[in-house]
Amino acid sequence: MTTRFRFDLWTFVLIAAWIVLLILLVWPLSSILRASLLDNDTGAVSLVHYIQIFTTKVYQRAIGNTFIAGIGGMTGALILGVTLAFVTTRFHIYGRAIIQTLAVIALVAPPFIGAYAWIVLFGASGVVRKGLATISVSIPPLYGVAGVILVFSFKFFPHVFLITSGALGAINRSVEEAAESLGVSPMKRLFTVTLPLILPAIAASALLTFVLSIADFGTPRIIGRDFNVLATEAFNLFGGEVGGNPGMASALSIVLIVLSMMIVFGQRWVLRKNVYYSNLMKKPERKRVIGLKAVGLHVLAYAIVLFGALPAIIVVLFSFRRTSGPVFQPGFSLQSYEKVIATVSAPIWNTLMFSSAAVVAIVISGTLIGYLISRRPNIATGTLDALLMVPYIVPGIVMGIAFITRFNDPPIALTGTGLIIILAVYVRRLPYSARSVAASLKQVGPSLEDAAVSLGYSPGKAFMKVTVPLIVPGILAGGLMSFVTAMNELSSSLVLYVGSTITMPVRIYLSVMDGEYGTASALSTILLTMTAVAVYAAFHLSGRKESALL
Amino acid sequence: MADLKIQGLAKSYKDVRVLESIDLDIASGEFFTLLGPSGCGKTTLLRTIAGFQSQDKGEIIVKGERIGTKPAHKRDIGMVFQDYAIFPHLTVAENVAFGLKARSLPKAEIEQRVIESLKMVRLDGYQNRLPAEMSGGQQQRVGLARAMAIRPTLLLMDEPLSNLDAKLRIELREDIRDIQRRLGITTIYVTHDQEEALAVSDRICVMNKGHVEQIGTPFEIYRKPVRRFAAAFVGTMNFLPARLDGGNLVVGGQSVAYPHVEGSGEIEVAIRPENVLLAGGAGEGAAITLKGEVRKVTFLGREAHYTLKTEAGEIVAQVADPAHDFVTMEGRMVDIRLPLSKVALFRPNGDVVKAGSAR
Ligand SMILES: Nc1ncnc2c1ncn2[C@@H]1O[C@H](COP(=O)(O)OP(=O)(O)OP(=O)(O)O)[C@@H](O)[C@H]1O
Ligand SMILES: [Mg+2]
Repeated sequence: MTTRFRFDLWTFVLIAAWIVLLILLVWPLSSILRASLLDNDTGAVSLVHYIQIFTTKVYQRAIGNTFIAGIGGMTGALILGVTLAFVTTRFHIYGRAIIQTLAVIALVAPPFIGAYAWIVLFGASGVVRKGLATISVSIPPLYGVAGVILVFSFKFFPHVFLITSGALGAINRSVEEAAESLGVSPMKRLFTVTLPLILPAIAASALLTFVLSIADFGTPRIIGRDFNVLATEAFNLFGGEVGGNPGMASALSIVLIVLSMMIVFGQRWVLRKNVYYSNLMKKPERKRVIGLKAVGLHVLAYAIVLFGALPAIIVVLFSFRRTSGPVFQPGFSLQSYEKVIATVSAPIWNTLMFSSAAVVAIVISGTLIGYLISRRPNIATGTLDALLMVPYIVPGIVMGIAFITRFNDPPIALTGTGLIIILAVYVRRLPYSARSVAASLKQVGPSLEDAAVSLGYSPGKAFMKVTVPLIVPGILAGGLMSFVTAMNELSSSLVLYVGSTITMPVRIYLSVMDGEYGTASALSTILLTMTAVAVYAAFHLSGRKESALL
Repeated sequence: MADLKIQGLAKSYKDVRVLESIDLDIASGEFFTLLGPSGCGKTTLLRTIAGFQSQDKGEIIVKGERIGTKPAHKRDIGMVFQDYAIFPHLTVAENVAFGLKARSLPKAEIEQRVIESLKMVRLDGYQNRLPAEMSGGQQQRVGLARAMAIRPTLLLMDEPLSNLDAKLRIELREDIRDIQRRLGITTIYVTHDQEEALAVSDRICVMNKGHVEQIGTPFEIYRKPVRRFAAAFVGTMNFLPARLDGGNLVVGGQSVAYPHVEGSGEIEVAIRPENVLLAGGAGEGAAITLKGEVRKVTFLGREAHYTLKTEAGEIVAQVADPAHDFVTMEGRMVDIRLPLSKVALFRPNGDVVKAGSAR
């Protein structure tokens, strides 16, 4: 192998990426690590918090539950997401655009109010549950571990769907046809050829959904009841509801991060041999099916997305209900909207500005870093890749506190500015974009870029002219996910906002906490609409109807 | 134009040696062909020359300049890729114009060259197609046109015609040769097809397992192989076990005087089918004479091959312009003459036995 060192564009990107991550990730988080190692009372360095975690029953249970939630949420999301991706990329389904829109809506269902909507539907006195009871079908209420896993599955499957349908659409048809001609039955072909080919995408989305599941604290908090996980414990301790214990909370956060790193290495191991390149020449075709099979496929696809979008739909419906103070009344009105417009409009602009700024930065640097990770494997990029996993897992509230601790005073004093919110979102969502790009690069053969280089383009130009156009679906999918999550970012903003930099999700959270469900629903609906418009615009502007999504 | 020297080039993937230590000296404007079995390192050699991967050792020198560390895009080395590497998001015309745009040629000239190059590969009229709408052979020709269009100082072609029908292959190889000669582009060409290699090359380099077996003109490679591998790989060659015995060559039960070489030992006799003389063939000079039974007759159009069973082993003999009754030969015994002047001897280590008139 080459030992020669060349200073080129990619070396620069590598150095820049390292600097950015050191400042925005390692340095802030080091404050958490430090806090976790200090005794609350004496201030001396000690392992007391860690010892407590592994000897106290409630924390042990939290660790076990975290794994259950993570694996359950991941499995559910994978099953739903891969199924939906397969059905929509391989069969002719009517209203594919509707399905995709619903999937995106499920993705953006605003935090907190989403979990709230699930309870409205399936809680102890939930609408659906009661309705079913009248026809003497009884289902258990949605609380506890099963409820958490179910909600995670339907909350996170759109990630899987977006990532894997991009990969499925990029499989060279000849490869599948070759398997067919070798006498492999369609079902067997799915498991021996198709799925292994999209394994990188599946593994990427598995990792993503796992860490989203274990870092989420809203769902276990509202639906889990006594199903405690590390994130809820850490949130409670940071939040100070039961007295507050920053040292313990920090130690729990560190344990969460370490758990995530284990998963990252697991993923690496699964993918250790995967280098698949196929220069896309023959795109897969969508098969037309008729009769019962067609009906079944349609029902399946629509059931998944409708169920996933249900919380969002409920929220929209509720936003038009009449309210009297915090209590919903029979009948409809625009009351909630009138109240919102009369009192709050700053959050709307803040949300738009902050998330746009973050996403532009995320897409550009995520694309470059994604390329670096997948095309220049070495120690420096490998550790960068591993480091990039950290923001995935760090609960937003931890990231927020880390930012406050480090960026409160010079040299970098940012507290109270919009920039600190943007930077927090940036570093938290950068991995989405980088991973998504890395996954789609797995399907573009490197000889294409070599060809451009041999025709006289510098590596940077070859990348821009050949690789970027081919991975636009991946860039777009990653950018889209970053954008919708940035718009809906709650936890870190909750710690970092001041009056003038309040964002929509924070406003919604405060409304829910005040019991103003009407206002919260109206605000959520506005946020949902904004997100949907942004998503639509992104696809319209990119002019790629046949890309990963549409 | 440009000459290319390669000195002691070595390359490994992890711990697998793919190129041992390659030395090549390619003259300006030469059409140089790499011929060798699958997996012998041809593509690796081309990719190293083009600069897509760096060598572990050795020098690459173009026009006297060491380019071993120069970035690939500054080398001005065109390449036709074995897997085509056509840009799937660009039309045929855009693919061909891609390299020309990098050279910021005037628009009119770009258009002109695109048309010219596509005409050369018989694809005029396909300008606006996308690669996904073309056959494998057509895509391959786009790759060829794209590399030729930039008129590079050095052109590397990795099996550029492998996917075409026999007729088109012959047409295109002649065209490539003509254009290459007209423009004087130094070319390294990789092929599996020996006939193609013999037909178009100025010189051929026979490779095996990452090292060079023999470099020579097509005539030398075919007629005067210096390595057993080259003799066996290029064209059909009969090999018979034999023994040198103090000035005598012993084949089967037959012994002929062979005063050109000293020494004794095991050896292999090699002779091409077209040099094997059958009964009635008037033979001049010394020859090994054998008797053989015709086991199989293979009709090849221009000629036929007889597979003969002799006491020394199987021999394939070629009969030019076979008459209609050649099939009835099956089962007959014939006299066989192997003229010593056409015979080559190889030692067990694969080297040819060099001697006066023995070849
Ligand atoms: N990226 C790689 N990693 C490890 N080994 C490789 C790699 N690329 C090629 N090889 C090995 O190097 C050897 C030479 O490969 P190369 O592609 O140069 O062969 P080739 O002569 O072009 O063969 P063909 O005629 O089939 O195209 C082969 O044994 C191959 O298995
Ligand atoms: Mg090759």
